[in-house]
Amino acid sequence: MRASEDQLRIMMIGGLDGDAGAYSALLAALVPLLRSFFGCRLRGADDDVEDLVQETLMAVHTRRATYDRDRPFTAWAYAVARYKMIDHFRRTRQHVPIEGLEDILMAEGFEDACNARMDVKRLLGGISAKQAQLIRDTRIDGLSVAEAATRGGMSEADVKVSVHRGLKALAARLKGEG
Amino acid sequence: MQTDDLIRSLTVDLTPVERNTVGRRITLGIIGGGVITLAMILLGLGLRPDLAAAILGSSFWIKWGYTISLGVGAIAATVHLSRPDARRVRWPWLLLIPFALLAMLSASELIRTPRSEWLALLQGESWRVCPLLVLLLSIPILLGLLWSFRRLAPPSLCLAGAAAGLASGASAATLYCLHCPEASATFVLVWYTLGMGLAVLVGTLLGPRFMRW
Repeated sequence: MRASEDQLRIMMIGGLDGDAGAYSALLAALVPLLRSFFGCRLRGADDDVEDLVQETLMAVHTRRATYDRDRPFTAWAYAVARYKMIDHFRRTRQHVPIEGLEDILMAEGFEDACNARMDVKRLLGGISAKQAQLIRDTRIDGLSVAEAATRGGMSEADVKVSVHRGLKALAARLKGEG
Repeated sequence: MQTDDLIRSLTVDLTPVERNTVGRRITLGIIGGGVITLAMILLGLGLRPDLAAAILGSSFWIKWGYTISLGVGAIAATVHLSRPDARRVRWPWLLLIPFALLAMLSASELIRTPRSEWLALLQGESWRVCPLLVLLLSIPILLGLLWSFRRLAPPSLCLAGAAAGLASGASAATLYCLHCPEASATFVLVWYTLGMGLAVLVGTLLGPRFMRW
């Protein structure tokens, strides 16, 4: 999603120019991105994830002069995160299985996946909560209509109608945006 | 510490960062170390007595052409490798061009010289000390660069260390030309290159230790 990269970049440039408000907004916005970046890669080690998030925030801060205002910001931020993760593996002398190595080294694919997730979240935020929940259940989490109906405490017909209307609303929004 | 508290503590006393701080910091590190290196040459070794005449001659400029072009390339590589999002350097082979040119000059020098004098061409007066002096003189500049890197973020510590080592070695060799009276391209090709190579080695070893962030 372009806007998010642009927003982050504008906040970062504000921070470099000394705007503390923009800067703290940037660091706060980085926290969820970093949590999922490290979370995907250190499955189940929540303390390590939070430590790495904090270390990365500190590195972003102390090394912020190495960000070139003319270059993409997220690539820079993920490069810092990637260095911190490799450093973490080196410190803990943990061996990374070779199959997982690609995921760790490739921040680019992660950014896309992350942006896609943000897109979905943003789009679903634009329709009614009930429709969004049912679309999430049936189309993303893979529940059957019957299961979604039981979980939501409604009839199957109700689920089908809501999903249908929700998708239609989404399609209309996408056309409007495109 | 909570992440929110951390963000708050990082945000108070936020100081603005000027554009191109990286370039300025690296320049400062090199100049800071270079001043010490220059002082070591002036006070310890002395300028070559014929410097004023030599600076008009071609052999002086061949030496400077070699060390300065390597230095410029190495400094550019150092700047490049100091950013976390640095892509792989695509042009390290460009650093071979000065070496290749000097090798050609050395070859033509050897062809023009009778075989019996080749050894004199190679050893000059100072082959025993030249590489070690270049290495010694590079140390202050390398230390200056390590200082520069305290605010920089190299993704690969070995590569950044090697680039900083070459930058310091080539800068030191450039200054060493003010003292060294050797004139043969063959001498420079072998002993200057060896000295700078030693500096690269030291940089590669020190990088992972002192450039961590």
